[in-house]
Amino acid sequence: MKKISKILAGALVLSMALTACGPKETTESEKPNGGDATSKGKIAYIVSNLGDNSFNDSGERGMEVLRSEGWDVMKTIETGDASNADKFDDTIRDAIEQGAEYLVASSTYTDNFLRIAEEYPDQKFLVFDDSPDLTGRDNVAYISYAQNEGSYLVGMLAAGMSQTGTVAVNVGMENPVINDFVTGFIEGVKAQDPECKVVTAACGSWSDPVIMKNLCLDQQRNNNADVFYQVAGGSGDGLFEAAMETGTWAIGVDSDQYQVYKDGANPEKADVILTSMLKEVGNSFVAFFHQVEAGEDVWGKGMTLGLADNSVGYVDNAFFQEKVPQELRDAMASVADKVKSGELKVKSYFDFADEAEYKAYVEAAK
Amino acid sequence: MSIDWVAFIADAIRLATPIVFAALAALICRQAGMFNMGIEGMILWSALGAVAFAHYSGSMWVGLLGAVLVGLGSGMIIAFASITGKADLYLTCIASNLAATGGTLFVMFVLTGERANTASVFRSYQIPNIDIPVIKDIPIIGKIISGQSLLTWIAVLSVFLVWVLLKKTKLGLRIRAVGENPHAAESVGISVPKVGYVSFGICGIMSGLSGAFLSMSFVTFFMKGMSNGRGYIGLSAQNMANGEPVGSALAGLLFGFSQELSTTMKNQTNFPTEFLEMIPYAATILALGITGMVAIRKRKKIEQGQTNTKEG
Repeated sequence: MKKISKILAGALVLSMALTACGPKETTESEKPNGGDATSKGKIAYIVSNLGDNSFNDSGERGMEVLRSEGWDVMKTIETGDASNADKFDDTIRDAIEQGAEYLVASSTYTDNFLRIAEEYPDQKFLVFDDSPDLTGRDNVAYISYAQNEGSYLVGMLAAGMSQTGTVAVNVGMENPVINDFVTGFIEGVKAQDPECKVVTAACGSWSDPVIMKNLCLDQQRNNNADVFYQVAGGSGDGLFEAAMETGTWAIGVDSDQYQVYKDGANPEKADVILTSMLKEVGNSFVAFFHQVEAGEDVWGKGMTLGLADNSVGYVDNAFFQEKVPQELRDAMASVADKVKSGELKVKSYFDFADEAEYKAYVEAAK
Repeated sequence: MSIDWVAFIADAIRLATPIVFAALAALICRQAGMFNMGIEGMILWSALGAVAFAHYSGSMWVGLLGAVLVGLGSGMIIAFASITGKADLYLTCIASNLAATGGTLFVMFVLTGERANTASVFRSYQIPNIDIPVIKDIPIIGKIISGQSLLTWIAVLSVFLVWVLLKKTKLGLRIRAVGENPHAAESVGISVPKVGYVSFGICGIMSGLSGAFLSMSFVTFFMKGMSNGRGYIGLSAQNMANGEPVGSALAGLLFGFSQELSTTMKNQTNFPTEFLEMIPYAATILALGITGMVAIRKRKKIEQGQTNTKEG
């Protein structure tokens, strides 16, 4: 009896360890060259996890469109988060061995792609949401997004909706892309109301809604902030709860977060989300592969897609129209047109000479 | 910009609540001679259990009960592996923490079809905050004491109960005896495995309450990895106080304050975020260092005292 329970306990521990370590590969076991002859090309889309209601899911929708247009899109490969980074290379090689001609993944995989692209000159690699140096890399391309343009518009909205003259933008962690969101937002706020203050804080994690909520409560109390913009992944849901609790406004990011809540089990939570800044990853994939199909020279360089390409924007739904005054909505729309036509160029994080200059800029906005 | 220090204290207490529960969970096991590192994962399971039970039953009280039961269950699994199965406790705890990270995500996906959080599928329930009639009108103190979550009050009560349990009851005496010397305890007829299971049970209940606070009080949904190290911080809080209930709770409070300080400084100063992120953890190391030094000095004094008496 004792022996049995010992074995049981051992098996239990082992199974625990195994479930924790095993990568969640959902790769289809297809034979190499399995794509049919009429296919336009075999695409592998590699993400950490689907179901983020944001970035990765948007890309997935783009892949579905491509599939319907006759591309042979493999079942999306989920690698798990960065704690599985040691297996990223193998996963990518697996996809190539299964016949993938085009590999698509976000900035998380930039280094892996650049490394593997050298080994496989016949495959094409597309990195999105990043802008690596591609000199001499003629089988790699990147798509980056003008998140500063979309953030500029919601910045105008925040300043216009604020009663107290202070708004906040809270991020998960700081990195160049995230700082670009912040830069655009501050620009938009100041354009709408030069007197309006912007508080900025980083939660320090993409999955700590408790700390995020605490940050917002502090900003509401001590800085009098009354519109909150989240660029914080999972932590951002804490921001919505803080807005609910304090009766302030929130602005979502990446996908239409109002709709996600409105369709869900807690529709009342949606009623603080004025709009969401959209980053249409899926649209950008479709546009990119249309160019590939047309035979355009897209490799070895990158493109930055913004308002003009419908790759960033904001949600213009009934709730937004009901809560935001006509005047402000018109102002946002007209600025959007100006940005699209190139008449207005929105300042970007990448315009700063160095980190110190950016810090000083953020500090000055407070 | 003027900082509302009264609200600062109230928020610090709020942030400290899950840590105090975690510290109580850790100290019960420690008193029974087991260093339970698995609390982090137990909190995570409980946080998910809370929202799931609340959603399916439609009652937040069932959710709270569910969190406690899930905490209890996850504690029993570790206890079974390490006490009955004689598996190494540290390895079991590490394995169960890893399993909790992936396992909660898996269970959440099976139940909700979501992989980010449960907010859009599970109905949100919040354990009520308690407004205390007369006290709430007292200037400073009213703002701090009134309006705290019911769970914060349960935490205060738990500190007292755990203290009574350890110091005033037969069971507490047995737990401490097993912790001091399991062989001696066994020789006087105490069942060491039984005491171990009971300690893990109480530990599980405390972890359950900690998890419930995260997903049903501070925020009202479950998110992957939402325990964010609070189990480990609780572990070091009880370590600072040598496993004493009141001291551990105060240490937990200290960590709550350092988290709140880090929050306020992020908003009100221009210190680099990465530096401020460090505050709660740096406070842990500093506090452990200081308490370690004090303990060593105390021991030296005792040793000196003994030699003195011998000489005298």
